[in-house]
Amino acid sequence: MSERRIPPVAISETTTLATKTGSWKYIRPVYRDRVAPCNAGCPVGIDIEGYLNLLREGRWDEARDLLLLENPLPAVTGRVCHHPCEISCNRGRFDEPVAIHAVERMLGDYALEHPPAEAAPSQRPGEVGIVGAGPAGLACAYHLARLGYGVTVFDAASEPGGMLRLGIPEYRLPRRVLDGEIERIRAHGVSFQCGVRIGQDISWRCFIGMFDAVFVATGAHVGRELGVENEGVAGVRAGLDFLKAVNRGERPDIGRRVVVVGGGNTAMDCARTALRLGAETTVLYRRTRTEMPAITEEIIEAEREGARLVFLAAPAKFHARDGRLCAVECVRMRLGDPDADGRRRPIPIPDDRFTIEADTVLAAIGESADLSGLPAELAREEAGVAVDAVGATSRVPVFAGGDVTNQPRAVADAIGAGKRAAVGIDRSFRHMSDGGSDGEGLLPYRFATGNVSLARWRQADPVPRINSRNEVVPFDDLNVHHFRRVRRHHDERLGLAESRSGFAEVNRGLARDDAVSEALRCFNCGVCNRCDLCLILCPDVAISRRDDGGGYDIALDYCKGCGVCAEECPRGVLTMTREGL
Amino acid sequence: MKKVMVGNHAVSWGARLSRAEVIAAYPITPQTQVVEELAEMCADGRLAARFLKVESEHSAMAACIGASAAGARAFTATSSQGLALMHELLHWASGGRHPIVMADINRALAPGWNIWTDQSDSLSQRDTGWIQLYCETNQEVLDTTIMAFKLAETVDLPVMLVLDAFYLSHTAEPVDIPDQAAVDAFLPPRRARFKLDVADPHSFGGLVRPDSYIAMRLQLQQAMDRARDVFERVETEWERRFGRKYGAVEAYRAEDAELLLVTSGTITSTARFTVDRRRERGEPVGLVKVKMFRPFPVEPLRVALGDARQVAVVDRNLSPGRGGIFAEEIRAALYDLPSERRPEIFGYVVGLGGGDVTPATIDEIIERTRAGAAPEREDLWVGVSP
Repeated sequence: MSERRIPPVAISETTTLATKTGSWKYIRPVYRDRVAPCNAGCPVGIDIEGYLNLLREGRWDEARDLLLLENPLPAVTGRVCHHPCEISCNRGRFDEPVAIHAVERMLGDYALEHPPAEAAPSQRPGEVGIVGAGPAGLACAYHLARLGYGVTVFDAASEPGGMLRLGIPEYRLPRRVLDGEIERIRAHGVSFQCGVRIGQDISWRCFIGMFDAVFVATGAHVGRELGVENEGVAGVRAGLDFLKAVNRGERPDIGRRVVVVGGGNTAMDCARTALRLGAETTVLYRRTRTEMPAITEEIIEAEREGARLVFLAAPAKFHARDGRLCAVECVRMRLGDPDADGRRRPIPIPDDRFTIEADTVLAAIGESADLSGLPAELAREEAGVAVDAVGATSRVPVFAGGDVTNQPRAVADAIGAGKRAAVGIDRSFRHMSDGGSDGEGLLPYRFATGNVSLARWRQADPVPRINSRNEVVPFDDLNVHHFRRVRRHHDERLGLAESRSGFAEVNRGLARDDAVSEALRCFNCGVCNRCDLCLILCPDVAISRRDDGGGYDIALDYCKGCGVCAEECPRGVLTMTREGL
Repeated sequence: MKKVMVGNHAVSWGARLSRAEVIAAYPITPQTQVVEELAEMCADGRLAARFLKVESEHSAMAACIGASAAGARAFTATSSQGLALMHELLHWASGGRHPIVMADINRALAPGWNIWTDQSDSLSQRDTGWIQLYCETNQEVLDTTIMAFKLAETVDLPVMLVLDAFYLSHTAEPVDIPDQAAVDAFLPPRRARFKLDVADPHSFGGLVRPDSYIAMRLQLQQAMDRARDVFERVETEWERRFGRKYGAVEAYRAEDAELLLVTSGTITSTARFTVDRRRERGEPVGLVKVKMFRPFPVEPLRVALGDARQVAVVDRNLSPGRGGIFAEEIRAALYDLPSERRPEIFGYVVGLGGGDVTPATIDEIIERTRAGAAPEREDLWVGVSP
């Protein structure tokens, strides 16, 4: 035995740092932020995961600013968007999706109460004329103004807002909310010229000559005709015209019995508005509930308020008495094979008819854009103006977006199109070559397959990213064992009697604390939120927090590539890669 | 303060009064009450310990070792299969010289599945380097739990205190609960001789060469040898403060006995009753209770048993292929006594799997021993037909 005194326990003479276990590994963990599916699913291109995470950390103003960086109208979309983000939310496969719309609404309202104090951007050369102050025009104007360009928005109506003001009923979107958000856009230096119809009050040639670029976002205002015998009889009218009249403050005489034809949001708006005017209301839809394009909550609300929904039925003939509508003769339908958009095609059953007595029919089977007033040199495709990925038309320097083009008709899609056009106009002003018209060049600036992000376009993302990879994190890449099931909070609603008796806002949203609880339900898919789990579980204690707040460092001399961190990462941020690659 | 409590809760109270700092455990019948009570004590703030729910007994012991390595006073409790699952880590605990205290509620090992008392679970861990102390009453359970920490931390060895399933674990008795301040004076906070320290980083339990290994094993053996004296001192101090003492070995009415029973655990109480009855009739019958099994109290047993003509060892345990384990150990301990002082040793295997051991059973053992000039074989079975 040696002379050295042997201790009673095996104790090393030096620290374990002498043993570089890192030499054992053949794979290594790498932190790579990816894209949360909500971000990719948002037609506006909002960093939803980002602002939810900031709220989680209690950084309200930063959350607001991140939201406003991408969306000029969060208090509006928080109320009226069909929130496809929630459909793509990974949490939906775990318990229930995060109630993103309610958080956005709360944060949008917070932004109206606590407006951000922003320094005016440095002005850049470039004046843009925008035709149409709806969601597309407002979004384009807002982003261009924030990029430093001069913007003037023209609208034929007496106030800006487009379909948000003309078409959407007040009980869904209180006007003070819309006014507040438009005020904020105005505060960014955007000028509005209302009551001016381009092509009529000012010629297109003259108008295009006044600006360095033009964005056409005139919307779709022409209600489609039903194509039913006797359609011209008094008492049959376009649903959108009815909504516009009510939104102007009129209370049209619609009689006691109203039949609404259609299954989209306009149809639901018509039904619920007619109910508020005291009518018995029936909705005729030629397919079934499953195929209805309206937002599910709107259908539920319409039924709750007393609308009768009749499925697999379409009007076939309008009967008149004394020159006025008295009944709707309907034909039963059945569903055939799926058509181009995947929904099953309705087929009439010729002899199966029934009649509903009615004083008014509101046709709400869709709206078309009136292209007749637009410059003839703008190429068309289908029923809209043809545009590329950033809204450029066939005529330089004219851009277009929203319902006047051939794209989905939701508010969020219009806002998203306005944003893409702003990016396209910015690029053309700066003579940039990237972001080609086929959209390929735009890829790095989009949330994976989603819309363009202004944070990315401006290369000024306020959220620190780690080695970003522009792909969506699928549910299977998460480790949901680290999450606990928590019930989704449901929006508070006005009582039924109060709802039906006027135009007060029905959906009251979530209390602030509940909205924050929803933010806490967010998985932060694909984004390191510094939960420390990797650090805690690393058996080699090889992971340490970075001082700059941007994630973690891995001591590769000691990481032996066991993969525990990557396996356990709840968010799918850590992946193992082969050594040397 | 006196309280009526089951043996399991006496363990919990012992751990609480000892101010255990880390408790890691996994439930198993009949032990579960021990840690349930401790979990409540931790939850309501009566005990400022970190309570760890773990996924197995193996992990429970691993967590205790980690806690002990960091300098904490660590405690756990288990039974039977759970103890068997810990086996590998029992060696780590003793070889690493971690003064962990663990309660083992004696329970038979499966199969057949059996939740009742049997010492084979703890005795299977004989060679793991743990001190083993067997208890007879709930008061002894509580006192031993506290003394176990003092003993463990003095010699840097883990201690297993052992009590019978149900006969103690689930049986309520009045127990005197010592005053916390007095226990604090008896058992100050642990001061670890070796512990993990970020300011002076070393690793523990790494590779050692044969020369170092055997030197460490020698020190382990020396620590075990020292534990006999240390336990004596610990008990003396306990007696001075609290007025109770048990002894590694206790002789009961053994003076001038021709026949001495040897028991451990709750069978001792039954044997006391039988011995009392026989003494009233003037029969020279006595009893020796073995509390300490590791280190084995060789000298006290030689003293206690050396003058009897016959010794009957009662084992509620079995080493298959050999017989009762206490009997085997006692034969070895007494082997080198001079032949005129060496009693005949009879080994009886009784009550396996929790079978009742009644005064009649003890009487039968006494009668069979008296009738035999010499043991017919090493293991004599009572209460079962061949």
